[in-house]
Formats: sequence, C-alpha cells, structure tokens
Amino acid sequence: MEYDYKNLGLSEAELFAFADHNDMESEKITAPRYSYWRSVFRVFFRKKVNIAILGVLLFVIAFAYIYPSVTNYDPYANLLDSNSKHLSPAAAIKYFGFDLKWILGAGASGEPTFDAIWNGSRISISLAFLCAAINMTVGVCIGAVWGFSKKVDAVMMVVYNIVGNIPMILIISVLAMLFAPTFWTMVFALTIVGWIGIAYFIRTQVVIIREREYNLASRCLGTSTIKIAMKNILPFMTSVIVTLLATELPSYISYEVFLAYIGLGMSEMSLGRLIFSAEAAMVTPGWEMEFWSPVAISAIITIVLYVVGQNLGDASDPRTHM
Amino acid sequence: MGKYVLKRLLHGVVSAVIVVLIVMVLIYSLLNRNTIMAGDPNYSKLQSNARITYEQSRYEAYGYQDYVPYADYLIELQRGGEITEEDRATAATIGRTPEKDNELAAKYIQQFTETYQSQGYEVVRLDADLRGNGQVKDGGQAALYAVRDIPLINRAISYFADMFFIDNVHYVDDAVDIGERGITFTWYDPVYNPTGTENVFSPAIIGNGTMHKYLLYFDNEFPWLHQNILTLNLGESYTVNRGVDVFTTMTASQGSYVLKPLTYPDTGLTEDSADNLHTATYAAGSREINGVYVERFGDDYTNVITHKVAKSKLGFSFVIGIISTALAYCLGLPIGLLMARHKEGLLDKIGTAYIIFIIAVPSLAYIFLFKSLGGRLFGLPTLFDMDTSGTNHLMYILPIVSLTLPSLANLMKWMRRYMIDQMNSDYVKFARSGGLTESEIFTKHIWKNAAIPITHGIPGSIIFAMTGAIITERVYSVPGAGNLLTQAINKYDNSVIVGVTLFYAVLSVIAIILGDVLMATVDPRISFTNKAR
Repeated sequence: MEYDYKNLGLSEAELFAFADHNDMESEKITAPRYSYWRSVFRVFFRKKVNIAILGVLLFVIAFAYIYPSVTNYDPYANLLDSNSKHLSPAAAIKYFGFDLKWILGAGASGEPTFDAIWNGSRISISLAFLCAAINMTVGVCIGAVWGFSKKVDAVMMVVYNIVGNIPMILIISVLAMLFAPTFWTMVFALTIVGWIGIAYFIRTQVVIIREREYNLASRCLGTSTIKIAMKNILPFMTSVIVTLLATELPSYISYEVFLAYIGLGMSEMSLGRLIFSAEAAMVTPGWEMEFWSPVAISAIITIVLYVVGQNLGDASDPRTHM
Repeated sequence: MGKYVLKRLLHGVVSAVIVVLIVMVLIYSLLNRNTIMAGDPNYSKLQSNARITYEQSRYEAYGYQDYVPYADYLIELQRGGEITEEDRATAATIGRTPEKDNELAAKYIQQFTETYQSQGYEVVRLDADLRGNGQVKDGGQAALYAVRDIPLINRAISYFADMFFIDNVHYVDDAVDIGERGITFTWYDPVYNPTGTENVFSPAIIGNGTMHKYLLYFDNEFPWLHQNILTLNLGESYTVNRGVDVFTTMTASQGSYVLKPLTYPDTGLTEDSADNLHTATYAAGSREINGVYVERFGDDYTNVITHKVAKSKLGFSFVIGIISTALAYCLGLPIGLLMARHKEGLLDKIGTAYIIFIIAVPSLAYIFLFKSLGGRLFGLPTLFDMDTSGTNHLMYILPIVSLTLPSLANLMKWMRRYMIDQMNSDYVKFARSGGLTESEIFTKHIWKNAAIPITHGIPGSIIFAMTGAIITERVYSVPGAGNLLTQAINKYDNSVIVGVTLFYAVLSVIAIILGDVLMATVDPRISFTNKAR
C-alpha cells in the first residue's frame, strides 16, 4: 500500500533526516539485566504459599536443632517412676504439671513424647541432609562423566546392573553387623551404593542433552569438553538437580523409618526407631499418641521438604522466569 | 530380535552370577560369624571344649566351613573296612594330653593329622580342661578336629553346579538293594488307582532308584501337569525352614493340614491323611527308623509334602500383588489422562496433592493410617489369618489397598507427565488444526504415544508382584514372600539369603528384557537391532 506521507504536514528535511550512528551505542544491550539466581528466587517468592511452607520448614529445622539442645532430654529420667509410663497428654499434664514437653503425653519409659520426637527429628534430618549431600555430589559428578564418555558408560552400565540387583537391606544389615549400628554406619550404608541411582539418572539426562544441536555447534566451534559441560549442560541441569534433591531428601527419612521398622535401624532414637518401638502402642487404647506423634512429625518434615524442593525446582527452570 | 534377546539374557545371567558372588563375599567373608552364637540357646549352656566343638559344628551347619571331628574320621574308616569296631573304640579314646594317648590312638591321630593337613585343613587338638583337683570339667574332654574355611570359588562352583538336579536311577546309593532300578510309564497312576480296580485314567512316569518317585504326573492343582525330572536347588534352608530348599519354602502351601481319606497304593491302608503322595522322595532307611511308615509305604519313598489349607508364600504375595497392580493400572492411567486433559483443574489439583502425599509421607505412616482407617471406619479385618484365608476374602482388601496406593500415585504421576509432554508436540497441533475434537486427539493420538513408556514397566510390575512387599506384609501379617529375605538375614540363614537374592536378580533381569520387548512390540519405531528400517 502506498503511504501518503505528503499530507502529514512534515517538511522534507524532517522526513528524511539522517539518523545518528554511534558504534558504542550499538554495543549496548537494551534487554533488562538478567541474573539467574535472582530470578529463581523472584519466581519462588512470587507465590505466597511458598513463603509459608518455607517458613514451616525453617521453623521445623530450627526447632529440631535448638529445642533438644536447650532442654536436657533424658529418656530414662522417669524410668523408676512406674506411674509416669504411657500417659495420655491430659494425664501427663495432670501428673507432672503443665509444661510444653508433656503436651503429647509420656512414652514407655516415662519420657516426654514431645522431647523424644524433636530429638528424633534432629537425628533423622541430619541423616537426610548428610546422605543427600554426599550422594548428590558423588552422583552428579560421576553421572556427568558417565554420560559424556562412551567407554565409562560401557563399564558403568555393567556395574549398575550388578549393584542394582544386590538387595539394599542385605548391604545395610551386613554393614550394621560389621560395625555397630550407629548414625555414621547408617550414613555409610546409605551412601555406599546410594549414589549409583542418582548417577544413572544424571547420566540419562546428560545423554539426552549432549546430542542437542547447540552442543554440536559448540563442539564444531572448538569449545573444550569441560567448557561444554560447565557452561552448556550444567545450567540446563540445575532445575533437574534441584527437583531430584527434593525427592531425595525426604526419601532418606522415609527409608530410615522403613529400615528401623524391619529391625535394621540405628541405635540412636531417630524417628524410625521411635515408630518401631511404639508400634505396639498403636493398637493400645490411650497410648496412640506415642505412635502417631513420630509418624506425624516425619510426615510433616518430608512433605514440607518435598514441596519446597519441588517448587524451587520449578523456579530454577529458566522457562518460568518470563 | 531373537538374537538380541539372547544376548541380553546372557548378559543378565553373567550379572546374576556376579551378584551371587558379591553376596557370598558379603555374608561369608565380611560378616562376623560369632553373632550367630549370640542367639543360640544351646551355646550358652555348654562350657569349655564342648563349647568350642559345638561352635565349629554350627559354623559347618551354617555353611561357613568344612569341619571333621576325629571320631567321624574313624567311623568313616570303619565303614571303609580299614579298621575294626574294637580298634575304632580304642583309637577314639583321646588322652588328656598328646603324651597320654594310647598307641593305636597315637597312630590314627598321626594319620588323621597328615591326611587333613595335606588337604589344607587346620587340625586343632584341645587338651582336656581340668579342675584344680585333677578331674575333667564338664565338657572339658580332650577334642581333636580338622577345620577348613570353604574357599569362595569352591563354594560358588558347587552352588551353581548343584543348582539344577536331573533325576536319575543312580540317585539312591548303588550299594542299597531296592529291587530293579528303572523308569516305568503307566496309563493308570497308582495314586488314583490304589487297589488297581478303579481304572482312573491318568498317565504318570514312575522311577525306582531316582530321588523322586513320581517323575511326571497329573493332578488338580495348577499347572495340572507336574514334573520332578529337573529340580531347582537354590539353597537349603537351615534356620528359616529347616532342611527345605528356598524355592520349596516359597512355593509350598502353608497353614493347617487338609485331611482327606487316602488309600496308600503300596499297602492298601486307608486313613485320613494330608500326604501328597506325588511328592514322595527317597529317604534312606526311613522305614527301619520309623515304624509308622511300614504300614503305609512299600518302599523308602516316604518323604512327602503335605496338603495344607493356605496358599504358598509366593501364592499370597502374587494374589495380593497382581490384584493391586491391575487396580493401579486400571485407575492410574485414566486418572492421569484426565488430569492432563483438564490441567490445572480440580481433579488435577486433587491428584497432585495425592501424589505429593504418597511420595513425601513415609510409606509406613500411610500404611498404618489406612490400616486404622479401614479397621475403624469400615470394620475390615486388619490382620491376616492363614486358615480362613480361603473363605474370608475381606482380609485381602486392606493389604491390596495399601499396596495399590503407591503404585497408583506413581502411574498417575508418569501418565500425566507423558501426556503433557505429548500435548505440546507438533502432531497434536496438526491434528487440532485438521479439525479433530479434543477427545479424539486425546484418545486416538496422545494416549497411544504416552502409553509407550508406560508399557515398559508392565512386565516388571507383574513379575515383582510375586516377590511381595516387606512393609505391607509385615503390617497385616500376610504370610507372603516379602519377608523371607529379612527373616533370613535376622536368622543368619545364609543359603536362603543367597537363594532369594539370586531369585530376585533373575526376576529383575527377565522383567527388564520383557519390558524392552513389549515396548518394541507396541511401538514399531523402536528397534533394538541395528538393521536399517
């Protein structure tokens, strides 16, 4: 369509003015500044529910670490007092007087259930964080190499097929019998083969991304493998890794509960041990609190960890940053 | 395809063998064997030398070592005719110290020591344990034995060599006179024709001199035609189910006996019995030892498995597992589909909350939750009772529900994920622009593509329905196969641990291969061979 510029009421000079050309100006990028992690947190905190859940998580963790260290928890303090055992919350408050620690009643040896579950939470949370840190670090590093090198892949697939077929409970029970079933044995048992599943997951992701066109182009331009891994692939994997972490962290707490339940737990009174030792109390009228309190707190911890992790994983996907 | 599957199977067999080797190293070399004694009531009652020899004999029973007491060696010599009964008795008397041995004993002790040391045994002599007054303490008698740890390689080779047993007429010691050895075929199975006049047509192959009396027979139990020619030995149990093979432990029926009138074909005796005569195996000299057998059996094939009311361990696990798997697929796939279809809708939100609940909450917690809910609100039985399991099917409900919940959540999660991934692909946009309705796109196009990765897991979930679930079975006290491994670990039943591990390893190899084959069958684009399409 012919544009009628004659009737715009502009002079010839105005219509055909030379634009300034500035080399420096063209180097400037007009898009807004973008910082990856700032955007992650901006997206994460945009949802009010995330703030609330993160608050709950921080509160639970802080309480689990601070509360047992400021109160002197001695599970056998009331051992000789036969009236103090298996008390419902009301009976415990009536018997001992009102105190925060009696609001969930008393357990099998007269110990306050409230103290016991926070003590147990501290052990279980420590276990989960430690195992997740070790397994994720080892798993991601080995998984990256595994995905990149075809030679390593051939060897590792055999290792994976073999290790994956050894029953985990067998390994744990052998280790628990070799060493004493302490906290550190449990960490060792959960990490000695635990990384391999994570490494396999990362390997699959790396294999998928490795063959993408932009990496092919990068390799054609002569980029070194390490730079491709660090600059091209790792940023792509951040959200995957965070999402994986979100499922891994609670899984250690669940797994510890499971192991304790089948009698392979550690000697410390973790949440799993509490559930295991209070199993009989579940069906006894009036004693239910002893069983349901550790179950409830472990459920709360795992759900909160999972939801925060998942939402952080969503937020760390750059496609959500728009 | 066939070649590829064969290659994969071979790889699988190799990795299963390595798994068995690793497990053997774990339990025989790394585990502290002293812990066995902690749970042994007899051990604490014994003292002094008797305690040491008892300990050695236990280690042999648990499969750690070869243990030969001197007395057994002499008995063996006597049986071989190298030494007379009187000389044996004299030679068996060990002096309090080596110097006090009588002449004959010294000679044979020397021979014993040389024989076993040359075979790599360690020969141990314990001098008599004396009280202050010179009398021998309780259990303090002098003892002599040879002992050798079984090397891993020997153990592994003999384990795999003994795994498959082909029955043959030379199974019974050739020195024993059992009449004419051989295999006979009959059209009229004697179990159904005990007096020979019933004329019940049922072909069977019967052996004499073989381990099993009935090598091939029909009966009314699945799979109707049974064979005993090739038997599988995964390892003989010691503590969990004494003297019984792992595989038999898993497949034999449980509970109380089913008594039915039975006529023994050999003697014509009729009585109420639970014996399953088809399972008879040879037990040397059993009629001499136990007179009861004489009036029932005409030969030493007296060791029979009995009919019991309840299913086997595998049977219980499989029934519960297969129903819950079927439920999970029937519910999980449509729900996942609907969640993807109405993304961000109410169903999607409820479904996601449910998935989060199942993933995040420890499985123990929600199983107990459903147990108490089911028990209180619906009055369902919360504990399993083997003897009434055939009639009261209500007790299956809660274990099935507990087992369905996690796999349902898992299927919903993946189905939704795959559907949503497919929804953004080009062929969907093309179909939409071509004017297809949403439901046509979903059921005809997206669903078919999204279901392909799901099919990969189907053989696995069916096969692993058999192995049972540890927590569910424990919580509801289901007598299934899930707890066999933990039970064996707790009771140090080493051969059961090895057997069960091998069983699981083989199952998982088969499950993965079947999954790949099924996926390649469903999706013609997937090919495992390099042939150009």
